[in-house]
Amino acid sequence: MTDTMQTDAVFHPKPSMPPPPNTVGVVGWMRKNLFGSLVDGILTIGCLALVLYVLNSVLQYTLINAVWTANSYRECLDINKGEGACWAGISVWFNSMMYGRYPDPEQWRINLAFVTLFAWMAPFWFPKVSGKMLVGASAVLTFPFLAAQLFLGGETSLFHQAMVSVALVLFITVWLHVGTSYLMGRSIGDVLVGITGFADKDDRLHKWVHMGFFGVGFVLAFLYQSSWEFVEVPITVWGGLFLTLVISGIGIASALPNGILLALGRRSKMPVIRVFCTSFIELFRSVPLITILFMAVTMMPLFLPVEINPPKLIMVIVAVCLFSAAYMAETVRAGLQAINKGQYEAAQAMGLNFWKMMALIVMPQALKLMIPNIVGSFIGLMKDTTLVSIIGLYDILLMAKAAGQNPTWLGFHTEPLLFTASFFFVICFCMSKYSQHLERTIGGGYGRR
Amino acid sequence: MSLDTAAPDNTPHVASVVSDEVVIELSKVNKWFGEFHVLKDIDLTVYKGERIVVCGPSGSGKSTAIRCINRLEEHQEGDIIVNGTVMGTNLKNIDAIRRNVGMVFQSFNLFPHLTVLENCTLAPIWVRNLSKVEAERIAMEYLERVKIPEQAEKYPGQLSGGQQQRVAIARSLCMSPTIMLFDEPTSALDPEMISEVLDVMVGLAESGMTMIVVTHEMGFAKRVADRVIFMDQGEIVEQNTPEEFFNNPKSDRTKLFLSQILAH
Ligand SMILES: Nc1ncnc2c1ncn2[C@@H]1O[C@H](COP(=O)(O)OP(=O)(O)OP(=O)(O)O)[C@@H](O)[C@H]1O
Ligand SMILES: [Mg+2]
Repeated sequence: MTDTMQTDAVFHPKPSMPPPPNTVGVVGWMRKNLFGSLVDGILTIGCLALVLYVLNSVLQYTLINAVWTANSYRECLDINKGEGACWAGISVWFNSMMYGRYPDPEQWRINLAFVTLFAWMAPFWFPKVSGKMLVGASAVLTFPFLAAQLFLGGETSLFHQAMVSVALVLFITVWLHVGTSYLMGRSIGDVLVGITGFADKDDRLHKWVHMGFFGVGFVLAFLYQSSWEFVEVPITVWGGLFLTLVISGIGIASALPNGILLALGRRSKMPVIRVFCTSFIELFRSVPLITILFMAVTMMPLFLPVEINPPKLIMVIVAVCLFSAAYMAETVRAGLQAINKGQYEAAQAMGLNFWKMMALIVMPQALKLMIPNIVGSFIGLMKDTTLVSIIGLYDILLMAKAAGQNPTWLGFHTEPLLFTASFFFVICFCMSKYSQHLERTIGGGYGRR
Repeated sequence: MSLDTAAPDNTPHVASVVSDEVVIELSKVNKWFGEFHVLKDIDLTVYKGERIVVCGPSGSGKSTAIRCINRLEEHQEGDIIVNGTVMGTNLKNIDAIRRNVGMVFQSFNLFPHLTVLENCTLAPIWVRNLSKVEAERIAMEYLERVKIPEQAEKYPGQLSGGQQQRVAIARSLCMSPTIMLFDEPTSALDPEMISEVLDVMVGLAESGMTMIVVTHEMGFAKRVADRVIFMDQGEIVEQNTPEEFFNNPKSDRTKLFLSQILAH
């Protein structure tokens, strides 16, 4: 101990002084980050000039010099000398880029199908609705039949009509369920049981009440849908964004279930299944999608009997499904690898069989871990479907190209491409943001402290 | 380890009602991991209501032995008969045995994506086909028995180690097993949580459950066990009543083990 410290027995803290000027606030931040040195300053000013230049050019092209009404590409060029966009062409070609050559008077069917799909999935985001998995499963399993009926029209088989009826009943049930959940705070199943007075009976009887209501609804729906008379629209005139969404939608919806089965097969103890799944996955992962598409449309018909001559689109959809399943299988397998061995053992020790263990314990955990990767491959697939334009399917990209080859619109290339790109950007950006949201809310947190 | 954490030596031995009905029978069981002979000619007969403590050095095959009883491990030679059902490749038999045998693990192995209550009702609903209401009633009963009914809506990740292990015990009990296997249930716990889990296990013993417990809690063994089994290098070296085992060990290997374990 020194003397000075002994004299200073009482501790007086020094008063806090404000920081030197020019180190805090906007000025401080700019000094530190933008103008730290001479080189920094030059770079900052250079970048600023570049940004302003680009911004100016973009504005000039898209707004200031843009032409909004014209009847041909020539007219556009006459007005703006090619220095601005010709948005007039987009409104002329809009319908083709959305629906391809699908006849105008029937396009409401496509719109109706997509509105139905959104309405079906919407309860997924309603917090008070229970049984979300059932809602999702009902849509994935039965909506395709309804959509096919709407898109194709014409005569269909009895089985198809039955499935369409099931879809109608389930869709209405989902929305009745939303109604009862919000108005009465109970699920549709409970309400039905309550109405019929079975509430205080054995639980096992409730199933029969539900079956009864379903049966009645099914008969009504079947009678209703048999009154439908839709003009047949051949698959060959489908096109535009509609076609893109059909291919990528089916690819995405089938990827997860098929991928899960393949991933389980690859980990199976049965050699035949394991070898088959492993070779399938490795084969499809090592070949570019475009090669698979070419094989599907040019080589597959050679192997099939002459009578079966499936349309190109069917072949392409099958190819995309196989390809996406192989990729998804590897994503799922990575998720499975992350699950602790103890989870399997606990499930087995409690007597769960393999499928129940997978469905109730392992998959929910693995899939939650893999959400970012799963959505990532969905986005990849969405963009990859534009490859079908190379084999001559008129998806949105090929439609965009076709616009510029029309005699009246010769040379009209840039605007349709920009328009297409912005569509993909919006869809993929939304998916990516939504996956980040999912990750934050359910991605493995489990309410951990 | 802890002679004194569970109970002082003078605590009376929990009364046991051992019937002469055999519930588990292992005869000449052999198991290999690849070339490594991990279980060698294991013979063991467990009677209904009997409480057996298994101890032995690390790697002696204790876990492997009890995991063979519910087929988490497959044995290659010998017979295992549980509740009259022969363990074999027949999946039906394995399922039947697993329904009757509960297991508690060293690392709890609760399902992290389900709440405590859902952890407890999952198997009763999906394996025993109980209704949700009935399964929840039973689950709450057992959660009360392990003294954590108020945690039912929480996720396992929000509980302490001791609480998690008690949930794991309740989860097994919800399947109404006739036999409970414990594989070092307190080894992953902090000292102050060990006794809360051991208390639950003592309570279970008092209710007459058949139990096989792999543990190094010698206090628990003295208080609860009807028989103590000492394993080393895949063999059962010695088995005896707790008094004889601790006061009067026969083999030198047992004496050495006891001196090491009681040295702390
Ligand atoms: N899956 C496995 N594959 C190969 N060897 C294994 C496997 N599981 C255990 N073993 C080996 O078998 C031996 C017995 O393991 P076991 O887990 O039964 O020992 P233990 O008596 O429970 O030991 P501890 O007290 O450390 O838990 C050990 O040598 C271990 O390395
Ligand atoms: Mg062990």
